[in-house]
Amino acid sequence: MDGAFTPDANEKRPADWKIGVDIGGTFMDFCALEANSGRVASLKVLTTPDDPGAELMTGLSLLAEREGLEPEAVNRFVHGTTVGINTIIQRKGASLALFTNAGFEDVVEMARLRMPEMYSLFCARPDPLITRDMIFGIPARLRSDGTETQAPDMAAVAAAVDVARAKGAEGIIISFLHAWRDARQEAAVKAEIARLAPELFTFTSAEVWPVIREYERSSTTIMNGYVHPRVAGYLTALESRLANHKVPARPMLTKSNGGLMNAAEGKRSCVNMLLSGTASGVIGAAWLARQAGEEKILTLDIGGTSADFALIIDGEAQFGTGELIGEFPLYIPSVSVSSIGVGGGSIASVDSQGVLRVGPESAGSIPGPACYGRGGTEATVTDAMAVCGWLGHSQMAYGQLQMEVDLAREVISRLAAKLGRSTEETAQAILDVAISEMFVEVEKLSSRAGVDLRDFTLMPFGGGGPMLGVFLAKELGMARVMASRRPGVVSALGGLVADLRGDFIRTIFEPLEPATLAALGAAYDDLASEGRDWLVSQGHDGPAELRITADMRYAGQSYEIEVALNVAWLTEKNLTAIAQAFHDTHDRIYDFHDPEGLIEVVNLRLAAIGAGPALKFPEAAEVEGAATPLREVRVFTGGRLQDIGLYRRQDLAPGGIFDGPAVVAQEDTTFAIPAGTRASVDRHLNLHLTFAE
Amino acid sequence: MFDRMNLQVLANHARGAAENMAHTLHRTAHSAFVKETEDFTVMLLNRKGETFAVPMDLGATWYPGLTFGRAIEMIEDYKPGDVGFTNDAYSSYVATHTPDTVLWRPVFYDGEIIAWTGGHIHNTDMGGAVPASLSRALTEIHQEGLRFPPMKLVNEGVFDEHLMRIMSINVRKPDLNVGDLKALVGALITGERKILAMIEKFGKDAFLDGVEALLDHSEAQARDVLASIPDGTWDFSDYADEDSTEANPVRLKLKLTVKGDEAILDFTGSDPQLASSLNVPTGGDPRHSVLLVGIYYILYTLNPKLLLNVGMTRPFTCITPEGSVLNPVHPAAIGMRSLTCARLRSVIFGAFSQAIPERLPAAPAGNNCIVNVMTTDERTKRTVIAAVNPVVGGGGGMPHRDGTNGSGADAAYLKNTPIEITETETPVEFVRYGLAKDSGGAGRWRGGLATEMAFRVFAPDSRITARNRDRSFFRPWGVLGGKAAGLSDMVVNPGTDDERHLGNIDTALLQPGDVLEIHSAGGGGRGHPFDREPWRVLRDVERQYVSVDAAEREYGVVLRGGQIDEAATAARRADRAMVEGHFDYGPERTGYEAQWTPEAYDQLHCILNSLPIHWRFFIKTEIFRRMEGRSGAAGVQEAFDAVCKRFPEVPRTDNTLKAAAE
Repeated sequence: MDGAFTPDANEKRPADWKIGVDIGGTFMDFCALEANSGRVASLKVLTTPDDPGAELMTGLSLLAEREGLEPEAVNRFVHGTTVGINTIIQRKGASLALFTNAGFEDVVEMARLRMPEMYSLFCARPDPLITRDMIFGIPARLRSDGTETQAPDMAAVAAAVDVARAKGAEGIIISFLHAWRDARQEAAVKAEIARLAPELFTFTSAEVWPVIREYERSSTTIMNGYVHPRVAGYLTALESRLANHKVPARPMLTKSNGGLMNAAEGKRSCVNMLLSGTASGVIGAAWLARQAGEEKILTLDIGGTSADFALIIDGEAQFGTGELIGEFPLYIPSVSVSSIGVGGGSIASVDSQGVLRVGPESAGSIPGPACYGRGGTEATVTDAMAVCGWLGHSQMAYGQLQMEVDLAREVISRLAAKLGRSTEETAQAILDVAISEMFVEVEKLSSRAGVDLRDFTLMPFGGGGPMLGVFLAKELGMARVMASRRPGVVSALGGLVADLRGDFIRTIFEPLEPATLAALGAAYDDLASEGRDWLVSQGHDGPAELRITADMRYAGQSYEIEVALNVAWLTEKNLTAIAQAFHDTHDRIYDFHDPEGLIEVVNLRLAAIGAGPALKFPEAAEVEGAATPLREVRVFTGGRLQDIGLYRRQDLAPGGIFDGPAVVAQEDTTFAIPAGTRASVDRHLNLHLTFAE
Repeated sequence: MFDRMNLQVLANHARGAAENMAHTLHRTAHSAFVKETEDFTVMLLNRKGETFAVPMDLGATWYPGLTFGRAIEMIEDYKPGDVGFTNDAYSSYVATHTPDTVLWRPVFYDGEIIAWTGGHIHNTDMGGAVPASLSRALTEIHQEGLRFPPMKLVNEGVFDEHLMRIMSINVRKPDLNVGDLKALVGALITGERKILAMIEKFGKDAFLDGVEALLDHSEAQARDVLASIPDGTWDFSDYADEDSTEANPVRLKLKLTVKGDEAILDFTGSDPQLASSLNVPTGGDPRHSVLLVGIYYILYTLNPKLLLNVGMTRPFTCITPEGSVLNPVHPAAIGMRSLTCARLRSVIFGAFSQAIPERLPAAPAGNNCIVNVMTTDERTKRTVIAAVNPVVGGGGGMPHRDGTNGSGADAAYLKNTPIEITETETPVEFVRYGLAKDSGGAGRWRGGLATEMAFRVFAPDSRITARNRDRSFFRPWGVLGGKAAGLSDMVVNPGTDDERHLGNIDTALLQPGDVLEIHSAGGGGRGHPFDREPWRVLRDVERQYVSVDAAEREYGVVLRGGQIDEAATAARRADRAMVEGHFDYGPERTGYEAQWTPEAYDQLHCILNSLPIHWRFFIKTEIFRRMEGRSGAAGVQEAFDAVCKRFPEVPRTDNTLKAAAE
């Protein structure tokens, strides 16, 4: 129990628990709210990679034990799982065949040609999830206008089914050129396969995500099929585990788009949950920011091997496509998150020219940093934090890790000897380098988005975000940092507060002119009824919010920008308003627009949103006053060893104020607060840091 | 003065600034050249104009070693807010063809210039004889568009309206040029702001020292790489297929000498400058960035932590004789120097491959062909001009894996366009887009496969250009027993009665219903193909990378009914010919060099070098016309004598006569 609130003893209403659960590399995180009393509980449980789902039951039992949670009183259960993404990263997915147009069998391998490391002669594309020997070219062809010049050759389909089955395919992906325009060829082939081989599962590109661009559509469909058996198996087991545990709530799943779907859909639309963990972290952060009245946020989530960044603008997460799943870009709408391979486990080294570097090698979660005492022998960023004295003053990760500072000193002193500097100076230099690596990534993110970070507040979370976040904020010239009461479980919170959200798309690819308006209107009607039906199928009985956007561009451009539209513009055929919205958006993103330019509408998109329960987390009155440190600890900061205040997070009451340098320790993380910083606590127990000029 | 323990911190701040500039330019630019092809660069420069930081994610790979000093010095009296620019290669050799416009901006601190920000964009068109200002057929730079020697484009924050008007009236897409130039100026201002923030953080003196330390560090890394290479001298030549419409080969020759931690790249023996636009303007700069692009790839491949800046060029010295294709004199045309640069890289790769065979791959396909279509949309009756996919080939076999298929190595930056997008925007229909079976050089590690692309047009007189096509005669070479790769080709209506092979021609005129097939070369193989595990060969056959016939012929792996016939394979592999030499060039080059022996080339260059520069290409062409039935040094001399008989005006000198005597 970490909340500062006690339930009202006179409360007689039955308990109403709502639980968000998110899984990371090392821990499964729980964030639970008892809605009547406003009581909040959080927890971390070590993952059980050999028996996915078992840690969930451990967590529920612990919550019952420590917090009095009754499984029968759980009315909302939201889960984020990494089963899908791990299947791809570990390459443990289904054996698949791909049926595509004859003559275009190599599209999946060639991808978009470009490789990530431009200067290396050894650069390479990832090996595709379906290799060429399992790709079958079927004579069939549609033109871009939907004219069929060759119907699918069903004899070739039958022959391919035989070979695919003989080679052990569990499922078949069907992706034909121009299926975005007309899905009937794919559907016909799917029906034929169902007739010939009902035991094979099939997915067509148009049913998974019917968007123009054959590689992107195919690769998204392949990922869906690749993870499908494992994800479906996991979700079935989850449902029965919850049922056996007498949890009445049907599980909801977090999605890459920051919304939710039910388990039945999750078993088929598996690709939608691949990035749910990072997405719900941003959703949780956005919710916290709105609650605290912050509009512009840069989130920073540091784990063992990576640091993730996202922008929240006007209180909303930002969306994009092309986020990476392991080595593969994902083309469904996802919450935009940038990632860099520097985290608490990143290894520091000194190269042959005597230059200190950090990463890209990482000690990961096993063996992890030396100071975890789990066999790590390399100096990591976390070890540097420990040597400087920021860490090691309290239990870590709800008591599941012990900090052994001596082991950290030992590994850092080896590097110090190479550099001819003190152990503490070396540790500080490791932190400086790690932060500068993150600095590069944030420079890219902010310049791509065209924002000035000086207007933003940094919100660090994850186990490592609060350790380094304040230093990074200062490096970036940001004015403020905000940290929630439970930075370790922000993703779990994000699930808890998320809405149902389904995305739907129609490729239009026509010039924006009067003749196109009818097509736009018809596409909107289709999308709207799909969206409403989807919400009903998810068991939503409240009002539906339909957000309509269009991917548009000037003719000749080969990329689109997403423009928010007003439904009335479509129903009233208001061409001028649509064009103006595009010009304005183009100007905002690219700093220019062309009033004379011919505009094309590439896609029409619809997000169907069903609001989740309006959860009210408790607030407490602020009482102005200086917070009192628990004791003083010795920390190397500002170039020297200093005795600075150690605060316990649970002791920090609303209205409390204190100045850095200081350490704030709590059960799931530790805040390092350098000199020149003022910290204050708000009514939601958020910590706000501001910097002196 | 600069604490070296913080060097990586400074390097990251510098790179962060460069990445910020690149994304700002990429975001705000107008043209497809900048936004899609990413043909641009941005960089931070020290006080002398030497590049000290570049982005790693965006932009072209050619200029991390670029020095702006010569161009900077040609303008006097810089004021805050000024921007200098040039697109003329011959006045300062900072720009390397007319479409590339290079800009630089001083960064003032305490009233003095403490650094510069710089960059270039490839303008869609700079005027001149042809749209886009580029054609192999052009013969002098005056046909390649409007040229600006180094001058101020922006005075204290105000664009020079006279210059902008002169440019706008002379080019075909003025809005794109203006939009891109303004975007680049915006990026330079961003870079300036970031540099000032670095000075704020590190202090002025530490910043200035630190920048030099970054250059020194990159130099030390490059020297470490060179020191790991044995001392020695290695010769290598490679050829571009065609030097002009006359279509004789262009030879590039390199003598690489590595001594300790330094290297000399002597390009003496490369052909004289051409009367086409394939010349590479370097002004004889011993460390010109465009000469060293192959070096950047090698250094980075051998040390992926290499800091890319001018420092890494310091251990290298290039020798490029004046009047040669790698150091042409005004007014030689230079627009299509990128084709020659691809060969220049393969010459460097070949020389280093001999020095450190265990650490480098075989030749990449090396033909970065860009395909454009001009046709009529039958629905709208409008003329449509569109870029179709680049047709590039695979990487060479690597020390521990196969070359990448379809693209790779020094062409890894190229992107394709989805077929669905092209077919929706442009009235063409694709028949095929994929990998070409048996096109990768056979080897213990197979070369990457070529790309093949075929499409149909529907309107009369549809014009196709396929710039940078090469390797239709001289194959990408294999090494250490690996075989040379398949050749590139362009065919109209393949497999029909009116099939036409276009060889290395880079344009085609198509009529309704015609299909054009373009395929690239592949990557060279590495190591003896008989050493490739039979299961890999079988897998290649299953994946359609290699045919059953080629499996047996090239790899000695006999397949029966989809299984390896172990006995037959062992028997076939027992009969293994000795491999001679480090390289396999394929029969075409071997045949060519039987006539054009090294001695013949020496004789040719001896003759040509004795003549004034403006005679050389003419005489080269005339000698080639008379080589039928002749070979070797004596054959070249006979051909030259015949040329002199036809053209008594040839200005022979004592050296010409001496060449004859030898």
